[in-house]
Amino acid sequence: MSKMCPMRLRYLCEPLHNILLLITCCHSRKISILAVVLLCTLSGAARAESGFAAFERSLATFDPGGQYLTKPIERYVSGLSLNGTLMFWSDYLLSDKDDIGFRDRDFRTAQMQSLFEIDVSYHFSPNFELNSIIHLLHDGAYDISSSDGLYADRVDDSFRRYNSFERIARELYLSYRTSTLDVVLGKQQIAWGKMDGQFIDAINSMDFRESVQIEPSDYELRRLPMWMANLTYYFGDVSLNVLWIPDFEPNLNPTYGAPWSSPLLPPADAEARNDQLLLNGRRNAAGDRVVQTQRPDWKNISDHQIAARLDIASGALTWGLVYYYAWERDAAPFVIGRFDDASGEHLLIEPSYERLHHFGITSDYAQVATGVPLIGSLPMVFRAEALYTKDAHFVDYQNLAVVRAGGSGNGVSKHDTLRAALAFEFAFPDKISVIFQPSFYYTFNWNDSLGVGFGGAIADEWNFAPVFFISRPVESTRDRLLLSLKLTPYLSGPNRNYQGTKTKLMASYEFSPFINGSFIYTDYSGGDSDDLFGQYHHYDNIGIELQYQF
Amino acid sequence: MRQLLVFDQNLSTHVVDWINCVLLLGLIVFTVDVNGEANPVKKEGWRAIDQLSRWERERIDFRIDTPRDSKTGYLPAEPFPFTAPYTAEEMGYRMMEFTHTARWSHVMADTFGAITKAGYLSQSTAVSMIGQELSTQEHIHAEPGAVHARHMYYYIYPPKNDGIQELWSLRRTGLESPVKLDYFAYTPSLRRVRRQPPPRRDTPFPGLAQSFDDIIGLESWEFDWRLIGADALYETVRFPNTRPKITLAKPNGGFYELDTDLIKPMGESYPFYRQDGGIDCFVVVATPNREWLPDYKVSKIIYWLDEHYFYPLRVETYDGNGDLKTIEVRLAKQENKALPEGHGYAGILAVYFHTQLDLISYSLHDAHMVKEWGEEDLIQFTPDFMRRRWLKYPQKSQAMVSSPEEFYMRPRLLKGKFSDERPVSVSLAIAARIAAQDKAGHLVFDVDE
Repeated sequence: MSKMCPMRLRYLCEPLHNILLLITCCHSRKISILAVVLLCTLSGAARAESGFAAFERSLATFDPGGQYLTKPIERYVSGLSLNGTLMFWSDYLLSDKDDIGFRDRDFRTAQMQSLFEIDVSYHFSPNFELNSIIHLLHDGAYDISSSDGLYADRVDDSFRRYNSFERIARELYLSYRTSTLDVVLGKQQIAWGKMDGQFIDAINSMDFRESVQIEPSDYELRRLPMWMANLTYYFGDVSLNVLWIPDFEPNLNPTYGAPWSSPLLPPADAEARNDQLLLNGRRNAAGDRVVQTQRPDWKNISDHQIAARLDIASGALTWGLVYYYAWERDAAPFVIGRFDDASGEHLLIEPSYERLHHFGITSDYAQVATGVPLIGSLPMVFRAEALYTKDAHFVDYQNLAVVRAGGSGNGVSKHDTLRAALAFEFAFPDKISVIFQPSFYYTFNWNDSLGVGFGGAIADEWNFAPVFFISRPVESTRDRLLLSLKLTPYLSGPNRNYQGTKTKLMASYEFSPFINGSFIYTDYSGGDSDDLFGQYHHYDNIGIELQYQF
Repeated sequence: MRQLLVFDQNLSTHVVDWINCVLLLGLIVFTVDVNGEANPVKKEGWRAIDQLSRWERERIDFRIDTPRDSKTGYLPAEPFPFTAPYTAEEMGYRMMEFTHTARWSHVMADTFGAITKAGYLSQSTAVSMIGQELSTQEHIHAEPGAVHARHMYYYIYPPKNDGIQELWSLRRTGLESPVKLDYFAYTPSLRRVRRQPPPRRDTPFPGLAQSFDDIIGLESWEFDWRLIGADALYETVRFPNTRPKITLAKPNGGFYELDTDLIKPMGESYPFYRQDGGIDCFVVVATPNREWLPDYKVSKIIYWLDEHYFYPLRVETYDGNGDLKTIEVRLAKQENKALPEGHGYAGILAVYFHTQLDLISYSLHDAHMVKEWGEEDLIQFTPDFMRRRWLKYPQKSQAMVSSPEEFYMRPRLLKGKFSDERPVSVSLAIAARIAAQDKAGHLVFDVDE
């Protein structure tokens, strides 16, 4: 075994080293794309060589983490289960334009994150279990470049690394199960919803550091777990899930100095990075003073969150109902007064997390269509999800202007919102999978002075995003190479019409049953520079992801 | 010996390729002459219909048009499980008892994997909980759309798959109800239970040689059946000489070792082995009925059914062009002793050989525990149960292959048998790798093609 290791490492390191060199040295988009294409075909070409075949054979059973760490410990400690994951993922921006809106984007590495995850389970009995997921994360993007535009770690160190119990002890819970009842107590994340995007998936707050770059496959790592009691009762084809959540976590947004901080967020980086009051959230870009945020207190039982979900399966149809008495994840900036200083009259702002009522519905249905031209039979699934939110808080810029001019109001208005999606998933021949998902966002009683609120449309009354996804494994690689394309055009009305399109091309390769790699090209095109995707025209990027699970 | 010559007719117009063919064929012939096959096929083992024994002829009903069921016109009138003599169609219905997973409620550890021609080995283990709701007879006569079984698969290996779960609700098909199952999956990385489109029945699972229909079995009324003769099988699954023993698990979690060269195709207790160790089989052909399966990418399936219980020991699937696509061979044993007359036999190991991709895969059923589910247990056969990530019956297996060289060998091609029905051919490269494996007694990956 020890003799094999250097040989394996040489096989592994040389091609990867060359690939990384090629990509990081690319200065034009064309060459970068070529690098990805070369990379995707590398394995196929190299496999023609018997030496590479021998490498593949040895790599297929190469699992030092399992062999020397998890399995020996599991053998030694009866009842213990251990799984480990080493992940590396990075995004390299293709454009070197550095002044984009308010941002001083003098960096090319949007992220270079390394994550070590340990998933520990201890079975006290077949019904009683302790689970823990530990995360150690470090983002090298803040270390490798002497960029003026990357300084979010001065706002919150968790952008650069996880160094607090809250972040490292990601999940920690006890579970007790009987045939009809589940009781799970502790810190955990709950994933409701099955769509591309979050519709009824609203229980946990999110780490949105990647902003528009985030994908559903990231949610597992980006949800922010909370302490809660999670009870589910099962009776026949019906289940009732009830959550009691004393804990509260706000969203983590891409603030000043973060790679994906919006180019539309004032003030400019040159000013923001030296303004400690601004970075600490004590002052806003207009010079208004921001006082202590009002947030829920777990010691006050009336501040706790409660959710319930009912699911019913009936043959080809499954459906469910959702209710969530929650807090908003982003504080609404209420104006509570005004003051004068040398620069003039300013407002006194008190951010406050406000209560929300969420009402949701989910359903899916399976069918096989027959007699489809050219194809014959076509298996398909329809999914639907909708979340109606009552009294979401929006910044009302018209009212804010009135207040700033001496009028009355608090700069915030309440609106109901609806976010909903239908998904049509088809299984075509040759393992081609296609999903078409029209997604819809709507703000009730909208006016064009509103900012952004939970569940509502962005910068308009309604948004419509017809997401198209297609994937196909390559049979000649024994399905180890998976190619996929996702298009997310963002339509909008009545003002903006089109806010750009996000295009994602991905090639994933199974290097071994334990090691996976992905190469991702993400493009933002169309829309104006103040639109959702349009503002990120110069943020097209190539991503590299490597994952070893043992 | 001509039967062993293998070549691709597409190359016949190219002179250079002809020379290569001749050289390679010479190599193959030479190899076989010198070494022979480890267990040569006995030509006298297979018989056309006019060569069947008297006992065999008495066991067969040669009629094609038999009385039909008064309620469901496409079913035979004679009640299942029928009595001798049997028509080919009735044999097809009897075979429905012997799907890949046993047709009774049980729990087991299903270890499966695949190896490419280059030796890339991937394996998984899933704990399978099978809830059989209808017997074979009830399944045949059920209303279209009725659920006859529910399968819950909980993956425990490799680590990247740990916690992935699938729920299959198997439905009886009908002309107006083509859906064969409801399919739900739970993915830990998404923490979501999602209804999936039913897999295309004739398409192999990702990375494997076997298709969905290979796993859940055929419904005989979707096919036309005919008998083409009989054969004696002496060997089904071929263990390599690098794997003299295999470790299997008992239902209670204990393990035991078996000498692989002592394993018999139908287990120790099968009472009908020939004196020379073979098993007499009827060979029947199933052709898709295009009214039922208009776009099924299979032209026919040939079964070797043991002549007493109609257990399928070898299955050959031919693609839409009529070319051999996969060979499946099985080892079985009596896992449910409470069932009489061979009804308690179940597959313990199946090996699939994709003859076009040269992909070999296997599925081994370990720690088989017959289990009558109580009322409270049935909750685990619902989609929502998967969100609980609760593995109630942690059956274990140590039967994984530990290195590429220890993987199961390609099944024999049985060239020359029923040659009118079986256009058996493989590419020159695959033929070379078969010759190399037969010579070495295990898979060989670095073969001069």
